[in-house]
Amino acid sequence: MLLVENLTKVYPNGRRALDSVSLGAGEGDLTAILGANGSGKTTLVRCIVGLIRPTAGSIKIGGEDWSRLRGRRLREKRRGVGVVFQNASLVPRRSALANVAIGCLGRQRGLVTYAGRFPDVERRLALECLERVGLADVASQRADTLSGGQAQRVAIARALLQRPTFLLADEPVASLDPDATAEVMTLLRDLARRERLAVVCVLHQLEVAREFADRIVGLRAGRVVMDDRADRVDLERLTALYRDESSAEAA
Amino acid sequence: MQVAAPARGERPVEWADILQRAAIAVVAVGVLAQAYVVIEARPQDIPGGIAGILDILRRGIPPDLTVLRDSIKAALVTLDVAIIGTSVPIVISLPLAFLAAENVTPSRLAYTAARTVIAVCRIVPDVVWALLFVAAVGLGPFAATLGLAVHSIGILGRLYAEAIEDVNMASIDALSVIGANRVQIAAHAVLPSVLPTMTGLTLYRMDTNVRSSLVLGFVGGGGLGFGIETALNLFQYQRLLTYLLVMGVLIAAVESVAVALRRRIH
Repeated sequence: MLLVENLTKVYPNGRRALDSVSLGAGEGDLTAILGANGSGKTTLVRCIVGLIRPTAGSIKIGGEDWSRLRGRRLREKRRGVGVVFQNASLVPRRSALANVAIGCLGRQRGLVTYAGRFPDVERRLALECLERVGLADVASQRADTLSGGQAQRVAIARALLQRPTFLLADEPVASLDPDATAEVMTLLRDLARRERLAVVCVLHQLEVAREFADRIVGLRAGRVVMDDRADRVDLERLTALYRDESSAEAA
Repeated sequence: MQVAAPARGERPVEWADILQRAAIAVVAVGVLAQAYVVIEARPQDIPGGIAGILDILRRGIPPDLTVLRDSIKAALVTLDVAIIGTSVPIVISLPLAFLAAENVTPSRLAYTAARTVIAVCRIVPDVVWALLFVAAVGLGPFAATLGLAVHSIGILGRLYAEAIEDVNMASIDALSVIGANRVQIAAHAVLPSVLPTMTGLTLYRMDTNVRSSLVLGFVGGGGLGFGIETALNLFQYQRLLTYLLVMGVLIAAVESVAVALRRRIH
């Protein structure tokens, strides 16, 4: 569960990247965040995972306000957020299973992990996570032999091993072809529905958002200009989101 | 050059450009000419020299096989100097390389310190290190090993650090977001990615170190180099030939093992 309230971020150079942004992502929902370049998507993501500190407002995850946390406490909390990046960012020469098991490194500090290995219990959990994304059969396959879609699903499994309170995907399909895009987005939606996870997904493609998201939040110039159920948003409204942005920037 | 800069043809001829090229050519010829004089080059001596070498070899036939045992023992010394002179540096250069790689170094200070150590080890040639160690621990294979090891720390440290800097940053970033610490990132993302490259570099280093070890024998490091030098100084050409043949076998054997192993990595 994610609840963002009146989040504002003003960068040292005076640029107001986020202006009183409020949004929520509930369990069981896939929430898509849409917006053109410079709309504040990246700043929002970086605030949520705690990489930058907001100027004002609060970020509540599981009821606790993260924006006040610092240092060690923040790092401990961050482990509970599964993040999926645009590129799967797997370790190429290791097996799919090992890449999933890497998700345990935040909580496992034993000497075993310093030797490049994993506790047995985590290997079993990693295999379960691979099953949840439907890839148990490629567990022993090297990561650099997987297809783009499979690699991204392994990255999602790695995030699942973190036992996340919610899953944040930052443009997870930006570098995938249409088939792989459908494969990954279907998985994210299923995870939200089947496992009652809150999934927040920053997207670039309007059609993908409309097809897979339950809710769509539109950002423009650091403000939320749209927050609605996906089935009530038509393509025209979405296109306007981008058109307005470019004309506003040109002005 | 014309291929590289097709736009150049469209510009009018520039005299400054031509003068500059002419100046560079004059300087280059000057450098080569002085070097030719300084090295006391006497090409007319080469044919006679080749005859001299062939004469030495002819006088070495048949090789004196009574020193075969000694020469094999000497070959083992040369090989072992290279083995220790390569394996010890692996253990030392690896942590150094993690400090000296820009993308994973814990601090600027550690980076500069590690880079300095690596540079000093590398800049001083192994022969000079070995001579210094002869002064410190006396003549023999141990001094040669120390010299080879210190120089190899510099070479391997730099090559390892470069390999680490080439690792895909995305996987390192992903691990730090998960909350993995520095050692875990090194063990789980960096090492698995660079291990094949590092093994290849190390095998290549082992190969060159066998040859260096041979040379170090001439400056008091023992082994085959010492045997060859002694036989040459005493005009014992039949013994010399035995030593040379054993040397050939050793170098060929090490090289083919290294090549075979490198091929198996990828």
